[in-house]
Amino acid sequence: MAVKPKTLSEARAVYSTNSELAWWVFMRISGLFLIFLVFGHMFFNNIQINVADVDYAYVAKRFSKSWVKIYDSFLLGFAMLHGINGLRYSLEDYIQRPGRRFWAKVVLFTVAAVIFVLGVMTLWAFSFEEMGDAVRGLQHSN
Amino acid sequence: MYRGKEGQWAFLLHRLSGVAIALYLIIHVLDISLVMYGPDGPFNTFLAFYHQWPFRIGLVLVMAGVVYHALNGLRIIIMDFSEWGIRYQRAMWYGVLVLTTAIGIPVLVKVIPEIFGGV
Ligand code: HEM
Repeated sequence: MAVKPKTLSEARAVYSTNSELAWWVFMRISGLFLIFLVFGHMFFNNIQINVADVDYAYVAKRFSKSWVKIYDSFLLGFAMLHGINGLRYSLEDYIQRPGRRFWAKVVLFTVAAVIFVLGVMTLWAFSFEEMGDAVRGLQHSN
Repeated sequence: MYRGKEGQWAFLLHRLSGVAIALYLIIHVLDISLVMYGPDGPFNTFLAFYHQWPFRIGLVLVMAGVVYHALNGLRIIIMDFSEWGIRYQRAMWYGVLVLTTAIGIPVLVKVIPEIFGGV
């Protein structure tokens, strides 16, 4: 990927495989979704509040709402696919030797898989409702 | 020293910001996943560590990277799908820099006192 295509027709001509073309298109579509998802995320958690106020109770309260779990699932999915594919582009540009390139990608995809599973577990494997309520009851008694 | 035209700086900054925020994403999922250990787990201790000022400055830089990457990504998409976008790509890059700064200033005005004022 040393020379990047600049238009859709060039991209069609350049990419040897359909999957590379599909990733090229995916980077653009996911980018458009990510503008809204990421800006919203930063606004809720950094602008509307002081990030220094983030603690267990804050996160548990957020993760007890289904809209947050669904929102964050889309954010996690798009950002991981877009970000990891972007890291792959960079690795392929800078690592030329086939053996090293292969192992670099094995490491990248392994890390990505672990992080993705952890993220999904965090959002869906526990009921933060009960824990969140219990903690809030203890700390603020309201 | 070799200096490219605007397009090369745009690319370099896009790549640096993209890689930086992707690495941040990995760390961020890891730290948030600590809530799985529950209210008495390591989460609060960990976050208190991150709330020290050097990390908060770092977070401001990550956010600036996201804003640049998002706006420049939009510029790339416009270039990819229109003639117009290629003709005005340089003007759009300066537009990206101006908009990133314009969004950054009110964020700094809000966040800097929080970091150093102990609010
Ligand atoms: C917020 C909206 C975003 C937009 C509009 C956007 C757009 C783009 C575009 C158009 C590309 C070029 C893809 C190509 O060369 O074919 C790209 C690359 C990349 N993006 Fe994003 N992106 C966004 C968010 C993110 C996020 C949240 C991450 C990190 C998780 C990220 C990480 C990357 C990386 C690592 C690259 C590869 C850089 C390179 O090839 O030089 N992006 N992005």
